[in-house]
Amino acid sequence: MIESITGGYLTAPITGVILIVIGLYGLMVKRDLIQQVISINIISPGVVLYFTGLGYIPGAEAPLFPNTNVVDPIPATLMLTTLVIDVAVTSFALALIIKIEEIEVRRDED
Amino acid sequence: MIPLLVALPMLFAFLSSVISYIDIDRIYRETVFLLGILSPLPVFLYNIDSLPINTVVGGWSRISGIEVGIDGVNFFFLLATLIVFPLVAVYTLSHFERIGKEEGGVSRNSKFCLILLLYGSLLGSFITRDLFNFTIYLEIASIAAIILVGSSDTSGAKLASFRYLMLYLLSSFFFIFSVGIIYVKTGYLNFPLIGQNLVLDTEMKVALSIAFVALITKAGIFPLHFWLPDAHSKADTPVSALLSGLTVKAPVFGMILFLRYTPIGFLTVPLMVISFSSIFFGIFMAIFQTNAKKLLAYHTVSQMGIVLLAISVLDIYAAAHYVFAHALFKSGLFLGVGPLISSFGTKDLKSLSYRASGSLIVSFAILSLAIGGISPLIGAFGKHEILTELRGAKVYLLYATSIGTLLSFSKLNFELFKSKKNGYNGKDQGIEKGIVFLIALLTISFGIYYYPELNPMDLVFIGVALGLLSILKLSHILEWNVPRFYGKNVEGLTKQINFYTAVFVIVNSVLILLVRFGDTLQELLISIVV
Repeated sequence: MIESITGGYLTAPITGVILIVIGLYGLMVKRDLIQQVISINIISPGVVLYFTGLGYIPGAEAPLFPNTNVVDPIPATLMLTTLVIDVAVTSFALALIIKIEEIEVRRDED
Repeated sequence: MIPLLVALPMLFAFLSSVISYIDIDRIYRETVFLLGILSPLPVFLYNIDSLPINTVVGGWSRISGIEVGIDGVNFFFLLATLIVFPLVAVYTLSHFERIGKEEGGVSRNSKFCLILLLYGSLLGSFITRDLFNFTIYLEIASIAAIILVGSSDTSGAKLASFRYLMLYLLSSFFFIFSVGIIYVKTGYLNFPLIGQNLVLDTEMKVALSIAFVALITKAGIFPLHFWLPDAHSKADTPVSALLSGLTVKAPVFGMILFLRYTPIGFLTVPLMVISFSSIFFGIFMAIFQTNAKKLLAYHTVSQMGIVLLAISVLDIYAAAHYVFAHALFKSGLFLGVGPLISSFGTKDLKSLSYRASGSLIVSFAILSLAIGGISPLIGAFGKHEILTELRGAKVYLLYATSIGTLLSFSKLNFELFKSKKNGYNGKDQGIEKGIVFLIALLTISFGIYYYPELNPMDLVFIGVALGLLSILKLSHILEWNVPRFYGKNVEGLTKQINFYTAVFVIVNSVLILLVRFGDTLQELLISIVV
């Protein structure tokens, strides 16, 4: 349906924005630490999809040397950095949740 | 040459993490840490005569490379970082030495590595002129800071760290979203080139306001300050000093870059409203705190409001000067309560006292006057510059800020000056107290160097603040406890994150609507009034 509105060109950015909104909803409504981390992890690909989609040019090829009509490679390369940070931070968040739960359990036992 | 400012601490951070796997004496680890902290100093001193400097890393063109530079604005950010970090590093070694045990499952060596990472990334964010490069440094600095908060043994530190993490991620994604819009609209990520190619249409305005809301969240300014008080008060004392003194300045530098290269005049009024509300909210909350570190943390919310005020009046130099001042006195204050907290074993103001230590009394008096903006201490320098930009009632609001801050610090000093039982004899912790005293001396010397004037109004402020304190004390208003809306458990934390996300979305939406329909609203208001 989105493609019929935008003619295919803005599919990725618009899908990205929809994902961001879904993630925000999760973050505002969910009452569970893991679910909140997952909500953040829905926002993140939303941003990546949005940013990468901005570099898309209809009919263009991959940005490799002999090609002349190519898509903008910068958004994709920048998003690589964001994805790496995101993976590391998610693992840290989950580790933190384990620690928080341990403290809660210890407190209940006391 | 300038990129070495960042590369050297990062290299030592790497070394520091590698040697944690080798079984060597503690002294070598501490040497690597100290070398890492001192490594950027020669680079900075070597370049200091040839300022301003501007280069593109690796000799690329401006369009594809990363531009870095040092000039009259970021000089103050770098100076603050290069003064505060070495002092805090020495303090950290002495602090850890005294605590003795390895805390919280996180090894001391990992903390050294994280502090070096924080150091390198802060220096990086202060020299860069590239939007995406800045974003990455901001992320590294925030992650290092969040892990440092989480590694503290204090109860509630893990919850504070998680809250900080969620708010930081949320604001980061929104910042990257706005970077995307700016890149598509201008075609560049280099700030000077963005400035040259920017057309200020509605989309650009929306992008800039989203970027500002994200930066305001990261800088801990009201109404998006939620993560700050807990994170700064629950961290280890030296880490608190680094967080309050320097880490919150990285987003401020982002705002300064935007102010410098993009026309953000359309944001003046909302930013000014946010800054004044942050100033007074911070002071109000600080006055009623009984936890010494939380009191200081709320003052960070208030002081960052003053920095934002400088940005809202479009004066980058005033902002840079006030940032420098705040980095000095706030790190000094946090380090100053450290020896008291560790010897009394509590953070409660009612049980702490510095009476036994003459040097701490003098240091606290100097640092308290400095944060109140009393001349000729360093705080007066930036505040005076902001005052010259303000007109009418806003001048008196800024005067009220000084009085409020002084009132809160008179209360702090009043409580600490009382002698308390079973306390501290003032004998040990010489290195820690020496560093605090040194920072106090620096606030005087830089103050006299940059703003060698005496303002008679300051005496009035001190008088009014002391008068107000006695009224509040006599009327027992200060004993009011600020109500807690959320529990200190996981359920409270999740509810807080729900609420804070909602506030973040609301602030974003309000600002975007104002940017989009502000002119129509103004016309409507005028038509109703006239």
